[in-house]
Amino acid sequence: MSDEVVLTVQVNGERVRRLIPASRTLLDLLREDLRLTGSKHGCDVGDCGACTVRVDGLPRLACITLAAEVQGASVQTIEGCGSKEAYIVDALDKHVASQCGYCTPGIVLCLASLFDDQADADEAAIREALGSNICRCTGYTKILAAAREAAASRSSA
Amino acid sequence: MLPLAHFEYLAPTEAVEASRLLASPDARLVAGGTDLLVSMKHRLFEPRLLVSARRIAEMQGIVPAAGWLSIGASCTLRDVSRHGIVQQRLPALAAACRTVATPTIQAMATLGGNLMLDTRCMYYNQPAGWRASLGYCLKREGSVCHVAPKGRGCYATQAADTVPALWLLGAEAEFVSVSGTRRIRVSDLYREDGMNWLTVRPDEVLTRIHVPLEDRSVAHRKLRTRQAIDYAQVLVAVAAPAQRGEPWSAVVSSVAPRPILVESETAEGLAELSFRGSQPLSTHLASAPWRKKMVRVEVARAVDALLRSHAGSG
Repeated sequence: MSDEVVLTVQVNGERVRRLIPASRTLLDLLREDLRLTGSKHGCDVGDCGACTVRVDGLPRLACITLAAEVQGASVQTIEGCGSKEAYIVDALDKHVASQCGYCTPGIVLCLASLFDDQADADEAAIREALGSNICRCTGYTKILAAAREAAASRSSA
Repeated sequence: MLPLAHFEYLAPTEAVEASRLLASPDARLVAGGTDLLVSMKHRLFEPRLLVSARRIAEMQGIVPAAGWLSIGASCTLRDVSRHGIVQQRLPALAAACRTVATPTIQAMATLGGNLMLDTRCMYYNQPAGWRASLGYCLKREGSVCHVAPKGRGCYATQAADTVPALWLLGAEAEFVSVSGTRRIRVSDLYREDGMNWLTVRPDEVLTRIHVPLEDRSVAHRKLRTRQAIDYAQVLVAVAAPAQRGEPWSAVVSSVAPRPILVESETAEGLAELSFRGSQPLSTHLASAPWRKKMVRVEVARAVDALLRSHAGSG
């Protein structure tokens, strides 16, 4: 039946092969099937950015992506972030840019994608990119300060 | 959580095969999915079959050919806005792509999807429970339009950000179906009916968007509440006359089911004619009179931008 799909993807560097319902979202594949719960259910309709992951390096909203549509791709979640993204996580930590933490994984992946693409991202580029991610705790000032510091530490590294 | 209903899924490799699949009722094409998946979660669409555009080669790539730029319908808004020829020769299109929703959505959503975007309304683009509590609306499952209860039709608005710029750039959309291939001007793609807003059939697959590389001076403006995520309260594109004797043109959108073309002999008259020709309705974020006034303001700003750039280059 075509209401099921044999999906093969790389998730955080590991090959995953599963038979899934065609209606499975990427977010539910990650959270329910693979137990990678770092990517969050926020609005569930693509507005808030809490479910942001990277697919072949680009940011993607997992809540409105069908798992079947990332066939053959490479997916990175917050669980797959390590030393390469530490400069972002450290800057967020230093500026106390995470309170409830629900938006934080999405913001880390959004910024990682931005800085990989644009090592010299300026204030305008940071603000434009973070337009993709809603935070209801911090008022954004601390997140922007952390993003600026992350950009500076990366370009000086 | 808003779960998706079950459906079948096929990913054909040719547009004509997709067309054959889309001829069956309750089938839909999915490309970026950024609007479709949301609408499916809200039970606005309940397709039994999703046909993926993912593997269809005819819908991919951006290639210049004989004075035109041919853009695959599956190209993301991010790819379109970053393409060198688009940036240099079609800056209004690049600007329009970059005002869609958010950068993350621009990396998913496609140019073809933007052209084929469903019309929108504050009483329609809501979760199923929200709509049920109101007794539904004319566009979906109900019998009354809550925006214009005394009106006869559906006033859901055409809100696709790239349409006004593509319209004035003279773009054409190429559709493939089992009955052949045809090209339709973007200006001929939309109807004055929020429920039946496209002039093409559901089994016609938008494969490519062809944009003439004529260096027409077009400016794009989008007025919205926040500078990210939101759809437009007012969307305008303005084109300067290509030759002496031609009129100034504006396309005003996000205020009616079909974008509105306005022409004026003078630059000064365009904003006032656009104001008079637009009848936006109130939304939960902005009143109708304010939106109507802002049509005049945004057209005037676009005209100013074009006059300034001409003065700069001349």
